[in-house]
Amino acid sequence: MIQTIPLGRVLQETVSTPYRDLVTRPTGAAVRGWIQKAIAGSTAPTTMLDFTEVGLLDFSCADEIVAKLLLDADPDTDHYVMLLGTREDHTEAIDHVLNHHALAIAVVMGPDEPPQLLGRVTPELVRVFHCVFRLGPGDAGSIADMLGWTLERAADALLTLSLLRLLRAEAGTFHPLTQ
Amino acid sequence: MTRIVEVPASFDDRTFDQFAQGFGDWPPEERILVDARAATWASPYGLIGMLSAGQALREAHREKPLFTVPASDDVRRYWARTGFFRHAADLFEIHGKVPKVATSEEADHLLDVTPVGASEDVHQVVGRIQERAARMLSHELGLEAKATMGFAMALSEACQNIVEHAGTSGWVAVHLYNFRKRLGRRVIVIAVSDAGLGFRRSLEATQAKRFGDRWGDAAALEAALIQGVSRFRDPGRGQGLAGIKRYLSRWDGKISIRSGTARLSIVPKWDDDVPLAEHLPYFPGSQVQVLIPAQEGGAR
Repeated sequence: MIQTIPLGRVLQETVSTPYRDLVTRPTGAAVRGWIQKAIAGSTAPTTMLDFTEVGLLDFSCADEIVAKLLLDADPDTDHYVMLLGTREDHTEAIDHVLNHHALAIAVVMGPDEPPQLLGRVTPELVRVFHCVFRLGPGDAGSIADMLGWTLERAADALLTLSLLRLLRAEAGTFHPLTQ
Repeated sequence: MTRIVEVPASFDDRTFDQFAQGFGDWPPEERILVDARAATWASPYGLIGMLSAGQALREAHREKPLFTVPASDDVRRYWARTGFFRHAADLFEIHGKVPKVATSEEADHLLDVTPVGASEDVHQVVGRIQERAARMLSHELGLEAKATMGFAMALSEACQNIVEHAGTSGWVAVHLYNFRKRLGRRVIVIAVSDAGLGFRRSLEATQAKRFGDRWGDAAALEAALIQGVSRFRDPGRGQGLAGIKRYLSRWDGKISIRSGTARLSIVPKWDDDVPLAEHLPYFPGSQVQVLIPAQEGGAR
C-alpha cells in the first residue's frame, strides 16, 4: 500500500502564499512537519511525495523536506519514502542535498520505467536496484546469478540498498518499494 | 558637524569602496550627508548599498542622514523608477526634487528595489520574478529555458542569507544591463545587501578558533563561500551558497561577497577582478552580487 502526498496542496495548507514555490527553510520545515504527521497517521509502508504541482524548489527547502525527512526517520520502523512528478530542476536540487548528507531516494518516472535514484549511489548500486525492479523480489543468490557477480558482492549491494531504504528487506528477500 | 559622503559618479561594485571610505570610522560621529548630485549612474548594488548605509546609521542610533538627489533629471527618474527613493525617504532626509514616477515596468528592471526581512518576502520575490526572468534570460541573454529555475533558486538562496544570518532586514534588486567595457555583453545582476551582523560576527562563535590568527572578515568569507560553513550546527546548512556557485559555474557567472573590510569573489575568465580584496574601508553588513552574462552570440 502506498500513501501519496501532493506537496503543492500541503504548501497551500501550511504556508499562506499564493505561489507554488517550495522555497526557504521555514517553509520546508513546516511542510516536513505536515508530512511526518501524515506518515505517523498512516499504515502504508511507502509514502510517495508528489511534486507535480510544485513550482520552484530551492536547495534549502529540498534539504528541509527531503533530506531531513530521511535523516529523521526512525531506523526501527518499516517505512519508506519515494518521489513522484519531479522536474529536472527539482531532481537537481534534491540530488545536490542528498549527496551532501550521503543519502539517496528513488523517483518514480513512469509506468514500467525503473525509478531514478538521486543522491549518493554508485553505478553498482543502481545496477542492482534496477535488477530488483525488473525481476521483482529476490535474494543475493538470484541477483548474483543475474549479474554474474559473486554472492558476497550481490549481498553487499542489496544490504546497502536496504540500509539506504531504497529496497525493503524481509527475511533475506529484497523487495522494490512499489510492490 | 556634517560629514559628506560622495556617491561615485558611476556607482557599482568597483566604486563601492570609495563610497564606504566616505564614512570614516564606523559608526561615524558626525551627521552624514550622502551627496549624489554628481551621480550619473548606479547599479542595483550601488542603489541598495546606499539604503544599507542609511539603515546601518539608523540602527547605530545616529541622527537621520541627509541625502541630496542627483542633479541629472534622467538619473533621478531612473532611480525613482527602480523604487530607490520610496525606501530612501524612510531612511534619509531627502533634499532635492524627487520625480513622481511609477516604479518598475522598465524592460531592464527584473526586480525593483525590494525589502527582504522574512521568509514570506523571499516567497514574494521568487514568485513575482519567475515569468519575467524566463523571458529575460532566454530572449536577452540567450540562456536555455532551464537556466530560469536555477536563476530563481540562486535569487532565493541569496535573499535567505539576509533572513537567516543578518539579524536585520535588507534589500534585493535585479536589473539587466550592458556590460560593454568589462565583457561586451549584457548581464543580469542580482544585488542583495543588508546592514546586519556581517559574515565575521555571524560565524565567529563557531569558526574563529579554527582559523586562529587568520580570523577576520576575509577568513569568514572564505569559510562561508569556499568551505560552505554556516553558523548553525545543522549539517544541512551552508548549501545555499554552494547551490549558487554550482549554478554560476554552469552559466559562466560571477559571485562576489563584501562583508566588513573584505570582498571575496569567484571570478570567471571574462572578468579581471581579484578573488580576494582585504583591508577595504569598513562597511556594515554584507553585500552580495551575482552576475550572469549573456551567452556568446545570445545578447541582443
